[in-house]
Amino acid sequence: MTWIQRAAICLIGAGLRAALHGEPPDAAPLSEEVLAAAIRTDQLTIPSPGELMAALNKIGKPDWTGEIRPPVPMTFSTRAQMALNLGSIVADGYIAVEAEDAQQVKNVGADILNLAKPLSVQQDIFNRGKSLTEFAEHGQWDTLKEEFECTQNEVKGAMADNKDQDLITLVTLGGWIRGTEVISHFLMKHYSEAGAKLLRQPAIVAYLSARLQESPEKVRDNPTVRQVRADLPKIQLAVSFPRDETPNLEAVKNLYKLTSALMNEISKKDAK
Amino acid sequence: MKPIRTFFIYAALLIHPTARAADSDDEVTARRGALAVAGAFTNDGFKLRDGHWAARFDAHKPQVIQVNLYAGNQYWFSVGTTDQAQEVAISIYDEKGRPLASEPYAEEGKAAAGFSPAASGPYYVKVEEKKGGPATFCLLYSYK
Repeated sequence: MTWIQRAAICLIGAGLRAALHGEPPDAAPLSEEVLAAAIRTDQLTIPSPGELMAALNKIGKPDWTGEIRPPVPMTFSTRAQMALNLGSIVADGYIAVEAEDAQQVKNVGADILNLAKPLSVQQDIFNRGKSLTEFAEHGQWDTLKEEFECTQNEVKGAMADNKDQDLITLVTLGGWIRGTEVISHFLMKHYSEAGAKLLRQPAIVAYLSARLQESPEKVRDNPTVRQVRADLPKIQLAVSFPRDETPNLEAVKNLYKLTSALMNEISKKDAK
Repeated sequence: MKPIRTFFIYAALLIHPTARAADSDDEVTARRGALAVAGAFTNDGFKLRDGHWAARFDAHKPQVIQVNLYAGNQYWFSVGTTDQAQEVAISIYDEKGRPLASEPYAEEGKAAAGFSPAASGPYYVKVEEKKGGPATFCLLYSYK
């Protein structure tokens, strides 16, 4: 790309804010059939925890240290439960980075490697584990956010190579549930309307529920996954408010209650 | 520092193991084009998502992808293509399918759209080839 093209893009960037509230273009709306048939992929349809935190960081300066959770057990008897927990631990990594807690980042890196081994993806992310430690020791927090996203994608890539497609959905689900638990907990303590509006994510739950429904029976019947399937409709209801409405403090508390109860089930040793 | 970081992101994405295993040459070419456009936004503080969508389709047969965005963030969607595509465009729609204002950018075989959602939730990104032959497209996005 030439410097002229770069300059042109910079100018466009400067004009972006001005265009945000401009007149809608004179284009035909998309039909319901087109919307229903729209492509949905894990990589683009599901936002990264970093996107949610970027939005929340604009509202205030959250104390992320208070959202770090005590260590969870790493000995689970089923791969489905391991995958759910792997996703939630990657979300913990984002929290540790936001809290700028180097030791916690290293702990999370070690936990990821521990869970990756029985899921047969450890070899693929071994170097990522080392990078996480190095970046944490040097306080490279921005790079660490990218590193956690890359780690999660490499885990999913390795699972796809191993024909463990159903586990990918569980990693995404674990990360999303943990992320929602943390944000709702934070908002419960520091309620703001702008923050509460960020909880509106109906399509994400719908997508993940549909993916879960397509999973093999063996996965769907796993005790922890059964609990997730039972709780997701309630969580979906809590994040499906109209776009011009704001959930009040009680609604935020309810979402926290739902997600933290489910997270406890997910991280419970030997779920029955 | 920023150009160095951009280089590493660019390099990391190009050597991503899953990309290596699964992507065709055309997808790699299209992705390189999308990354070239997105690189400029990265230098402006936008973070590039480590994920993309790629597909091959014909002119005037647009593809629509659902994304979930957060109010308060700014987004740039970037698309790159193989040589067959001459004119491409990206447009954004709300969850009801209504077209939304966005900041367009286009050059031969590449396009981008800047958008900042007023409300959190689902949106739809339409990728369209307006002129050219069947081509491979790659879409990715950045945020800040």
